[in-house]
Amino acid sequence: MFGTLIQHEILTNLMTFRFFAAVIACVVLVLATTIALTDNYERRLASYNAALQAHHQKNFSAQTYSGFSPRLERPPNPLSLFNQGLDKRAANSILIRRDKVPSLWDDNYHSAGFDNPFRHLLATIDIVSIFQILLSLLALVFAYDAIAGEREDGTLRLILVNPVGRGLFVLAKYLGAMLCLILPILMSFLLALLLQLQSPAIHYSPGDFLRIGGMFLTTIVYVSTFYLIGLLISSMSRHTGTSLIVSLFIWVVLMLICPNVSLFLVNRFIETEERLEQANREIAQIMERFQREKQELRNPFEWPFLLKGSWSGTSISKNVTYIEAESESEISTVKAYYQELEPRRIRAAKAVWLVRKQAYSETFGRKSTTARNALRLSPTGLYYLATSAYAGTDLVAMEAFFKAARQYQQTILDYFYDKKAFGSRQWFASDKEVVRWRDVPRFSYQPLGGLEDASSRAFRELLQFFLLNIVLFILTLVIFSRQDV
Amino acid sequence: MLWHIVQRELFQQLSSLRFVLATVLIVLLMIVNAIGHIHQYKTQQIEYRRQVSASLERLQRNSNNLYTLVVRGPGGLNKQPSKLSFCAQGSENHLPPSVFGWSAGWGKDLNIEGTLYKVSGLWRLQYGTSPPITGTDIFPTFLKIDWTLIISIVLSFVALVFTFDAVSGELERGTLRLTLSNSIARGTLLVGKFLSTLISLGVALLSGILINLLLLHLSGTLQLNGEEWIRIGGIFAVSLIYLSLFSALGLLVSSLVERSATSLVMLLLIWIIWVVLIPATLGTILSGLNLPQANRDYSELRSAQLKEITERYEARGLYNKAPTRARPPTPATLLWAKFLNEEAQANRGLNKEFLTARIYQIQVARNFNRVSPAAIAQYVIESFAGTGFQRHLNFLKNAENYAKEFNNFLISADRADSDSPHVPFVREGMSDKPVPFESIPKFQDGVRLERIFEGATLDMGLLLLFFTVLFASAHVSFQSKEI
Repeated sequence: MFGTLIQHEILTNLMTFRFFAAVIACVVLVLATTIALTDNYERRLASYNAALQAHHQKNFSAQTYSGFSPRLERPPNPLSLFNQGLDKRAANSILIRRDKVPSLWDDNYHSAGFDNPFRHLLATIDIVSIFQILLSLLALVFAYDAIAGEREDGTLRLILVNPVGRGLFVLAKYLGAMLCLILPILMSFLLALLLQLQSPAIHYSPGDFLRIGGMFLTTIVYVSTFYLIGLLISSMSRHTGTSLIVSLFIWVVLMLICPNVSLFLVNRFIETEERLEQANREIAQIMERFQREKQELRNPFEWPFLLKGSWSGTSISKNVTYIEAESESEISTVKAYYQELEPRRIRAAKAVWLVRKQAYSETFGRKSTTARNALRLSPTGLYYLATSAYAGTDLVAMEAFFKAARQYQQTILDYFYDKKAFGSRQWFASDKEVVRWRDVPRFSYQPLGGLEDASSRAFRELLQFFLLNIVLFILTLVIFSRQDV
Repeated sequence: MLWHIVQRELFQQLSSLRFVLATVLIVLLMIVNAIGHIHQYKTQQIEYRRQVSASLERLQRNSNNLYTLVVRGPGGLNKQPSKLSFCAQGSENHLPPSVFGWSAGWGKDLNIEGTLYKVSGLWRLQYGTSPPITGTDIFPTFLKIDWTLIISIVLSFVALVFTFDAVSGELERGTLRLTLSNSIARGTLLVGKFLSTLISLGVALLSGILINLLLLHLSGTLQLNGEEWIRIGGIFAVSLIYLSLFSALGLLVSSLVERSATSLVMLLLIWIIWVVLIPATLGTILSGLNLPQANRDYSELRSAQLKEITERYEARGLYNKAPTRARPPTPATLLWAKFLNEEAQANRGLNKEFLTARIYQIQVARNFNRVSPAAIAQYVIESFAGTGFQRHLNFLKNAENYAKEFNNFLISADRADSDSPHVPFVREGMSDKPVPFESIPKFQDGVRLERIFEGATLDMGLLLLFFTVLFASAHVSFQSKEI
């Protein structure tokens, strides 16, 4: 009997116009988006490779130690086709300097390829957001008449005359509809993957496939949540008309209003200005102290110049290419100057970083955590958070790049200390010998990957989804079994 | 007769569950918007005033010497925040809040004939990058709770929910045949249904707007002048055109199909694609086709340009002699002035080119987005509210005009000093006297009403065109319907 019910349910759902229209719309949209996004990804990858090539030469072309200021690049993430998250938003290129520790919150000025200051005016879309909007609506359209419709037609009474428990009836409805809903999801995922793999730029590792599987699973749970919401409303209403209108309004609220209102409120009511100003004052003090210390030392590159010759460079990097013989005796003074100055500069930069780090975690960090928690209030937000964790485009994954950059900066500083570079002639002069960068550590960055890591970040959202599903199901069951047929 | 139909339909609409739900939703959203705005408005105004007074202070400090103004420039030029930003946020927090009239960022200490000669570039306009990530914007907030969202997304949806069963529902229930058995022309019935939907949508919107304005008024943040009230009226008028478009769409689909369930599913699909997805995809895809040069290439271009000009002038003996205050000016003074002016000119050109390429990319995308009425409505409401991209372009134009005015002032102030050799803009060729602070032109930003109407006319025309086409097709399909 149970089997017959499911079969019946599947057939009645499959043969409808709404199913047909939704499947076509979903597949066409996913295909169009995939083509556009794949093209976009290829461009970003090409831009990344070009930048990498250019910087590979330029990074190690400095002739003096002080001129060493390599640029690091973050590769684009192919899984951003599913959920782009912060992949395009966060900085993908960092300049490593001795006097500044890189951080996500203030280094977003340099983005390769798409660095239009107005680019955020254009909303962008990814595969997950199509599912998010389209499939949730489809689930509600499937569910609104599942119980109310049968009641109106009088078929509900007929079915329940058979020896079927009401629980079994609801379960059959749910399973039948979910089997139909999985079809467009599966088709879209497979077609999107097939299209993406046609591109020579995209290669997925087995781990990536598992993460895509994670997104697939999340999508199913998400759709199921909306179906259960619709079913709950349907079991409570007498007329399909009412059920439909209520479902649609709930959809608008959950889809558009809930996430936006919560982010809007978090944004308005968490103050950051004051704390940041305080941090800026502290930083100004540190820098002032450093400037004082610097002024106590006599800068050999200030008028009257200590060396006679020619040089180029900025305030922190110098390259002396020619020194007249009479100035040769002054070299040791210049060496002593840098030997004294550079460790202080690095210490000041570290002190500034500690202040900034603290301030950022109390302002932007706190804001983003609160926003994250506020997003969890709606299934839409949950879906976004879980899929961005699987795709590796969430905040944690972005911060991993900056963490690697910070580590690399420290490695470079250690390298300078090891080489006793600050007190050497090659720190500021290349007239005798140019620095060979043979043994300098290279930057290598492995994007945060792996199914385990991603799943552990998505775990809370998935758990919440499952709980929500169970609660909704039980609620529907209770309400339905207490009602007259 | 028409009035009778409108009355009957209106009564039905206003007493329905969907009207109540929609009104409650809109009023709630309007309240959230007002609360958020009250909070934001104060910080925004304080911040703007702080920035402006900091700029003026800096200007006053630099006015002790004419040449200091030449090198340091007028300082930050700030965009005046709109008082109507609660109507449309217009991605203001993604747009640079100011452009910088700052020093060139390069200077040299030269050793010419055994003495130090310090030289630095002339001031120039520099266009900021978008503000950094600040916490909540790590999440996709492609929608802001403002009038634009409420009108273009929520109310268009409500319009479809109001009309999806207008014809097909009556057909199903059999009431359509009854109504038409009276001597009512089909056209009149359709117009009646359309008007009643529009009125009930207007009622829902107006009640939201009134509560919103009331809250803002009570909190004291709403201090509007006549012109701003006209702009609010403009927003309401545009909303009505926009909503009639969607009512006509609902009537069209409803009279095309037999069953109201089919009608609704079709309308929902059309809505999702037309209102939500097209503005989010089409522009992005098409703007990917004309990518401007990367920031990085640009900064390389800039330093290469400086190097090229310097080398060219070095070959002409730039570094052999320093300029002097002698009158008539020596060749060295003239050469240095020429060098500095040419470098500033070339750099201005490059900055402008950089900006233009980026603006062009966005404009192409926006033009394609106009396929969707939701995008059009957003653009019009933004320009009425004085926010968004069009407003930003106006601001940039204001800043450019001001930059010219400022340079003209520098030249005329130098002419007024009879002790100066009159060779702008090299230090030795210019007056070194203080300038009266009052005489320096100050930057004034603002929007003009006629400019708004100029920009909005085309978009309103497009919306009307959409509406006419949809309503005419609804009329035709209703006329030819078998009942």
